[in-house]
Amino acid sequence: MRQKHDHDQDYALTVDNLKVEFDTYGGTVHAVRDVSFGLRRGKTLAIVGESGCGKSVTVQALMGLIPMPPGRITRGSAKLRSAASEATELIGLRERELNRIRGNRIGMIFQDPMTSLNPTMRIGDQIVETLRVHRGMSIREGFREAERLLDRVRISEARERARQYPFEFSGGMLQRVMIAVALACSPEVLIADEPTTALDVTIQAQILDLMQALQREEGMSIILITHDLGVVARMADDVAVMYAGQIVESGSAEAIFHRGGHPYTLGLRRATPSNDPENRQRLEPIEGSPPDLFHPPVGCGYFARCPHAMQVCEGRMPDPFELHHAADTADDVLHSARCWLQHDQAPRTEGVNQNGAGRGAS
Amino acid sequence: MWRYTLRRLIQGVITVWFIATATFAAMHMVPGDPLGSERATTESIRQSLEARYGLDQPVFPDQYLIFLGNMARGDFGISFTQQNRSVNDIILEAFPVSAQLGVLAVLFAALGGVLLGALTALNRNRLPDVIIMFLVILGISIPSFVFAALGQLAVVRLNDWSGQSLLPVAGWGTFQHMLLPALVLGLGTMAFLTRLMRSSMLEVVNTDYVRTARAKGVPPLRVFWRHQLRNAVLPVITVLGPAIAAITTGGFVVELVFAIPGLGRTFVEAVQQLDYTLIMGTTVFYGAFLVLMVILVDLLYGWVDPRVRLGS
Repeated sequence: MRQKHDHDQDYALTVDNLKVEFDTYGGTVHAVRDVSFGLRRGKTLAIVGESGCGKSVTVQALMGLIPMPPGRITRGSAKLRSAASEATELIGLRERELNRIRGNRIGMIFQDPMTSLNPTMRIGDQIVETLRVHRGMSIREGFREAERLLDRVRISEARERARQYPFEFSGGMLQRVMIAVALACSPEVLIADEPTTALDVTIQAQILDLMQALQREEGMSIILITHDLGVVARMADDVAVMYAGQIVESGSAEAIFHRGGHPYTLGLRRATPSNDPENRQRLEPIEGSPPDLFHPPVGCGYFARCPHAMQVCEGRMPDPFELHHAADTADDVLHSARCWLQHDQAPRTEGVNQNGAGRGAS
Repeated sequence: MWRYTLRRLIQGVITVWFIATATFAAMHMVPGDPLGSERATTESIRQSLEARYGLDQPVFPDQYLIFLGNMARGDFGISFTQQNRSVNDIILEAFPVSAQLGVLAVLFAALGGVLLGALTALNRNRLPDVIIMFLVILGISIPSFVFAALGQLAVVRLNDWSGQSLLPVAGWGTFQHMLLPALVLGLGTMAFLTRLMRSSMLEVVNTDYVRTARAKGVPPLRVFWRHQLRNAVLPVITVLGPAIAAITTGGFVVELVFAIPGLGRTFVEAVQQLDYTLIMGTTVFYGAFLVLMVILVDLLYGWVDPRVRLGS
C-alpha cells in the first residue's frame, strides 16, 4: 500500500517491481510479474487472490525460501525498513546475511501447522532454536523464555507443554506454537501465509484474535496471505488483490470492500458468502479459469473472464490508476486499480467505482 | 516402554523356540546320521556312542524334549565331530571373531549408507549423485563372494606395487585382517541403505518443517543435522534389524573366503559333517542373536522417534 503522502519511514517493508520465475520441464512459469507494495508500520496488509496467483511465492521470495533452481528472482527489490537504521535490501542477500534477518526481524507462520514443526523435536527445543541462533541464549535460558512465549500465545501449563512433541498437540495449538516460534525474537514483520486455512472455523477465530492481540502488544506489522475475504475483513488495514501474478487493485480494506474499482475485486466480493441473514443473494462464481502463466497474456490477465472486457484490455495492461474518494473518507491510503475502466474514456459501468485518475477529480 | 520391551522379549523367546523346533525337525529329515561315516566302529562301540548322545531313543518326543530342556539351560551338548569339545565352547570361541567382523561391517554399512545417501540427495542429479548411484546399483547386484575375490586380488596387486605387505589377503589376528572382510561384508548392505537414505532424505528436504527451520534463520549445517538427518534416518533404522541379519548370514561366505575362524565357517563345516549338536547350537544361537538385534533396533527407533516412544 502506498500512502498519499509517502514517507519511507512509515513503512516496515516495501517491495518494488518483484518478478519471480520458475523453470520447469514445460517451460518457464512467470509466477510473480512485477509486484510492488508497501507494508505500513504497525498495520496489517492482506494479500488476497485465488490459488496459484502468486501470493505465497511473493512472500517466500522475500524470505529467500524459494528453491533456486528452479526458482529465479529476475527483478525487483524488497527493503526491510526500521525506524532507527538504514533499510536492508532482501533480494539477492547471501544466505548467511539472510539468516540474520529470518526469524529475527521477520517471523513467518505457515498454512499447515501439523507438518510445519519438526516431529522429532520437543516444542520447547524448536522455540529455543530461534533464540539460540539469534540471541545466543543457553538452553536453560531459552527454555525459560520458551515457556514465557507459550504463555503469551495462551497455551496453558507452558512448562509441561514445552517438553512435549508436536504429535501431542492439536492443529490449533500447533499454530499457536508456530506463532510463538515466529515471535520469539520480537520481529518487526510477521508474515502469515494462510495461517488459518488448515484449521476449523472456531479455531480460526481464536488464532486471528491472538494475532491481533499480539500485534497490539508488540506493534509489529503483519502481511497476511489469504483467500478468505472474511479473514481480510476482520484483520486487514490494507488490502492488495492479486491476480495472475500481478496486483490488480490495492487500497484500504474499506475502499476495497466498498468502493472496489477492479472487476476482479468485485467478482471476489460477489463470490463470498455473507453471514448477514437479510442478505440472501445467490453467490456468483467467477466463470472460467486464470490464464496460463507459462505464457502470461500481454494484456490484462483477467480479460478472458471479465464481464466488462474491452478491446484495449486484450492488448495492453494499464498502469495503476489512482482512485479518488470523497473528502469525508479520511483515508490516508492510496487506492489504485489496474483496469482500463478507470480511464476517462471508458464507458460508465454499473457496479464499478470509476473514480480513476483518468476521469479527473471532477 | 517397559511393557513394550517385555512383550517384545516374550515374542522373541517364542520365535527362538520355533526356530529350534524347525531346525530339529529339518535335521532329522536329512538322510544319514553323524556316526555313519565313522570308520572302524563295531556295533558295540556304535551302540555306546548312540547311548551317550541319546540317539537310541525315539526322536519324538524323547530326543526333542531332552534337546529343549538342555537348550533352556543354555547347554547345547557336545560336538559329534570335534573331540571332547562342548558346542558352548566352540560358539564362545568362534562368535567373538564373527561379532567383531559383523560390528565393523554394520558400522561401515550404516555410516557409509547414511552419509552417502544424504550426500546424493542433497546433490540430486548432479555428478556425485550420478556416480554414487551407479556404484550403488553395482553394490546391490553383485554378491559378496565376487567382491571378496576382487578385493583379495586388489590387495595382492597393491602389496606387489608398493613392495610391502600393506594389508593381509586372508587370515585373522590383527585389525588389518578385519578391514577388507568387513568392507566386503558391509558393501551390499551399504549400497541398499544408501538408496533408502537417499529417497528418504529427498522427501525430508521438501517438508514444511525444513522450510520452517529455514524461515527461522537456522544455518544450513544445523538444518541438516537437527532437522533433515534425524528425520531422514528413521526408515534406515527400521531396516537396520534385517540389515544386521543380512550381514551376519553374509558372514558365512566371507569367513570361508578369507579363512576367518568365525561362527559362520563353523556352521558351514558342521552342516557338511552333519554334526547334529553343533548345527543345532549354532542355528539356535544365530536365531536368538538376530531376534535380539531386531528387538534392540526397534527400541532404538523408539529412542529416535518420540511418536513411537510416547504414542499408544
